[in-house]
Amino acid sequence: MAPRIGVVTFPGSLDDQDALRAIRLCEGEPVPLWHGNDSLDDVEAVILPGGFSYGDYLRCGAISRFAPVMTEVIKAADSGMPVLGICNGFQILCEAHLLPGALIRNDVRVFVCKDQDLRVESVDTTWTSEFSRGQEITLVLKSGEGGYVADEETLRRLEGEGQVIFRYLNSNPNGSYNDIAGICNERGNVVGLMPHPEHNVDALTGPTRDGRAIFSSVLNFLAAKV
Amino acid sequence: MARVVVDVMPKPEILDPQGKAVTGALARLGFAGISVRQGKRFELEVEGELTEDRLAEVRRAAETLLANTVIETFNVRVEELPEASEEEEDEGEPAEQGEPAEQGASDDQGESAQRGESDDQGESDDQGESANQGKSDEQAQLATQAG
Repeated sequence: MAPRIGVVTFPGSLDDQDALRAIRLCEGEPVPLWHGNDSLDDVEAVILPGGFSYGDYLRCGAISRFAPVMTEVIKAADSGMPVLGICNGFQILCEAHLLPGALIRNDVRVFVCKDQDLRVESVDTTWTSEFSRGQEITLVLKSGEGGYVADEETLRRLEGEGQVIFRYLNSNPNGSYNDIAGICNERGNVVGLMPHPEHNVDALTGPTRDGRAIFSSVLNFLAAKV
Repeated sequence: MARVVVDVMPKPEILDPQGKAVTGALARLGFAGISVRQGKRFELEVEGELTEDRLAEVRRAAETLLANTVIETFNVRVEELPEASEEEEDEGEPAEQGEPAEQGASDDQGESAQRGESDDQGESDDQGESANQGKSDEQAQLATQAG
């Protein structure tokens, strides 16, 4: 049986359907989850999708972080379940302190929407094991508040422990410190990134199919676990 | 009923793109030498007596939700409410001009924007650089009288 991967829909989520579709295309079983439920429906991994949950009121992710389903997501993440936050999902993971640092408005002060070149910096996570280290990929980036910031000590730790997973290549689109596009927690089961792997899973709708490796990584991890 | 104000500001070492945009716009408008950092102000109406415990709770609320302490600092202060009827209390902000009572929500915004401007200009009188000096003085005076 294909591993069950949940995608949480918050009010204002935009990319939940694409994430569910990406899971299906990569031969997992997509499971829609609702922000107001306090059950994860026996999924084996969770994706927090992109969008503008709760209208980005207060701060991006600040209110979603306290949605009922998040209590379960935090519990599951702490016990090792693979959790991926894409764009707004990354912001939610930072607000929930599942990942260090925060995301602020782009230094260029405009919404950035482009095919972004990235370098894969670490393959030691449940979401990136199918990449090769140093691999250069292209994913869609579309965000207004994608500037990753953290204090110096946190940055040193992230760099030192190999927790920087993706780095912007060629140009830094939003002022992220150290060109950081994606990070993971110490354990490597929680990953957040600003670009959108779920938009890059087939040739018809994306510039590349580079996003597939994210989903196949976690699916292989879960298959091997069973 | 007490009013507690929570001011939230981006930490000094964190880039503030909004403040930068406002700074740039001010410079283009001729307000030279003014650098802006933009934060948020929350006005909390707190029911019951404002005990130390209650204030501590408000601080916890600020730390939990209103501010992200990774990138922001916050300050909690109690605002003295003027002795007045409830309706007036609602409009009893420091810079309130006491306009006729037809203030809808949108009016409020427009006015506070104006007031903000006039206050700023009032403060920058010393620099004497504003082309609208006369007007802004008037506005500043109005604000002072009303406040």
